[in-house]
Amino acid sequence: MDRAMEPRDRAGVSPLSSFDGGQTAEVLDRSSADGHQSLPTAPPVTGDEAGGSPGTAWLTPWVLMLPALLLFFLLFVLPQARLLGYSFEPDPQSAATGLTLENYGRLFGDMHYLGILGRTLWMGLLVTVITLVLGYPMAYWLARLETRWKTVLLVLTIFPLLTSAVVRSFGWMVLLYRTGVVNQSLQRLGIVDAPLPLMYTLSGVVIALAEVLMPFMVLTLYGVIRGIDRNLEEAAMDLGAGPLSTIYRVTLPLSAGGVLAGSLLVFSLAISSFVTPSLVGGPRVQLMATAIQEQTVSLLNWQFAATLSAVLLAVVLVLALAYSRLVERSGDRSAVVPV
Amino acid sequence: MTLRAWHPFRLALGLISAVGYLFLLAPIIVIAGASFGSTQFLVFPPQGFSLRWYEEALGRADFWSGFQISVLIALVAAVLSTIIGALAAVAVVRHRFFGRDLILALFLSPLILPSLVLAVALLLMFSAARIDPSPERLIAAHLVLCVPYVIRTLIPVLQRVDPSLEEAAQNLGASSLAAFWLVTLPQIRPGLVAGAFFAFIISFDEVVLGVFLAPARQPTLPIQIYSAVQFGLDPTVAAVSTLLIVLTLVLVVVSEALLGVRRLG
Repeated sequence: MDRAMEPRDRAGVSPLSSFDGGQTAEVLDRSSADGHQSLPTAPPVTGDEAGGSPGTAWLTPWVLMLPALLLFFLLFVLPQARLLGYSFEPDPQSAATGLTLENYGRLFGDMHYLGILGRTLWMGLLVTVITLVLGYPMAYWLARLETRWKTVLLVLTIFPLLTSAVVRSFGWMVLLYRTGVVNQSLQRLGIVDAPLPLMYTLSGVVIALAEVLMPFMVLTLYGVIRGIDRNLEEAAMDLGAGPLSTIYRVTLPLSAGGVLAGSLLVFSLAISSFVTPSLVGGPRVQLMATAIQEQTVSLLNWQFAATLSAVLLAVVLVLALAYSRLVERSGDRSAVVPV
Repeated sequence: MTLRAWHPFRLALGLISAVGYLFLLAPIIVIAGASFGSTQFLVFPPQGFSLRWYEEALGRADFWSGFQISVLIALVAAVLSTIIGALAAVAVVRHRFFGRDLILALFLSPLILPSLVLAVALLLMFSAARIDPSPERLIAAHLVLCVPYVIRTLIPVLQRVDPSLEEAAQNLGASSLAAFWLVTLPQIRPGLVAGAFFAFIISFDEVVLGVFLAPARQPTLPIQIYSAVQFGLDPTVAAVSTLLIVLTLVLVVVSEALLGVRRLG
């Protein structure tokens, strides 16, 4: 039963195994026997396989992809290309026409907006560090656990992912309130005298977002650590290394790719998340996501909303490319795109 | 050499992991716990015990209609994205064509690119094209988020199907369509079910696209919760959230059991 629930065994069929970075983890899992499952060479497409005359065989994949290509062109590529276009159009209130870089000039020339960008990146960094520091021991513990509880714990790791981010942010609002359980416990333990301002602050957003994104880190690391041959650790310990130095000198270097991949993933998701910053941070914590919403919905400045979006998109794209390079280098091309 | 069960290292590791799981589950526990309190203001730990917020939540017509519209949108999105995604996955796995890696990257990119940017982009495009808010508009947008999950779930499943089985069927006289339908489809059915399951959950829980694109008079349930939470910590909303959590849990367990059994059998 336990084994049947294991992601590896289930080959990504089960919802629980494939929601996470299951594939990612599998891919980064260099030492495993099947670590090199790249996109298989397509079977030779012969004329009769395509069912028609040999001349039309090349058409088959395009016909199959037609609905998806249409969907992505009309509702993904086109609107975002148009959005990018808006970012080069002049402010509606100015009389200028034609293409301009004034929106970008405004963003990068104004301390207010530079502050929003800087704060967002800083928030992403903090969230990444918290999820890594807490997530690595969790993933290691989970990977080396050999009880029937492992299945339950895996489910407990994935379950929050399937629970709406709205509901989890709601939970954090109840926890972080002035008189919420976090502040009450801190005061009762004598750690603080007055309640800490956690709601509607950057600290609150960081705490809540670290929780929301934690499963991505734990699952990515779990897949990688599980693929590390235990004999290597045992050999190190047999030669006299303590458990901590074994982890530091053997496990950590072997899982470095997973650490980087998980960090890039969590950082990208953190800086582009909207629900948690807008609920826990509110209008008082100005981040990229909330600023984009404000420009779009309240200020109706589409041009500037587009500019902020373009900058956010550029940062995430660079990180995604770095991530896919990383995955490619580890010998697999099927996960050119992450998650 | 393995460490004894009570070795300080293992104890420390277990302790950190326990703290980690507490952190991970804290907001869910808090919402579920607080929803059973009897006070007007939502607190945790709950004061008193009462089911009145559940009574109130189940009696609210707006939550029911939100639930119905959410289920409807998620069902349509799940069915359509499973079909669209499955066709694309077959093309990518079974065929070689120009730009295959790039197209696959495009299909999977909504998994990592900010859905907020997509939401703003779609809002501006729909407004410029004078396409008014409607459930259909939201379903169309949800498809972009759901299809990548279907494709990603199906690719490894399709890779494990031996294409020579389908060729054998064709050599025996089946048309390529019949061969796919009778030979390959039954083998990838668990993958299709799992893909549809994700698509349903993704669409059902989706908020960001919804906030920008859903019609104001027909909000989905998660958007109702999102809007209500901004105005205060209402115990009724906590009760609705808890029901959502339970529903998700049931879906996970059922689909896992279903697919698990099938896989073993």
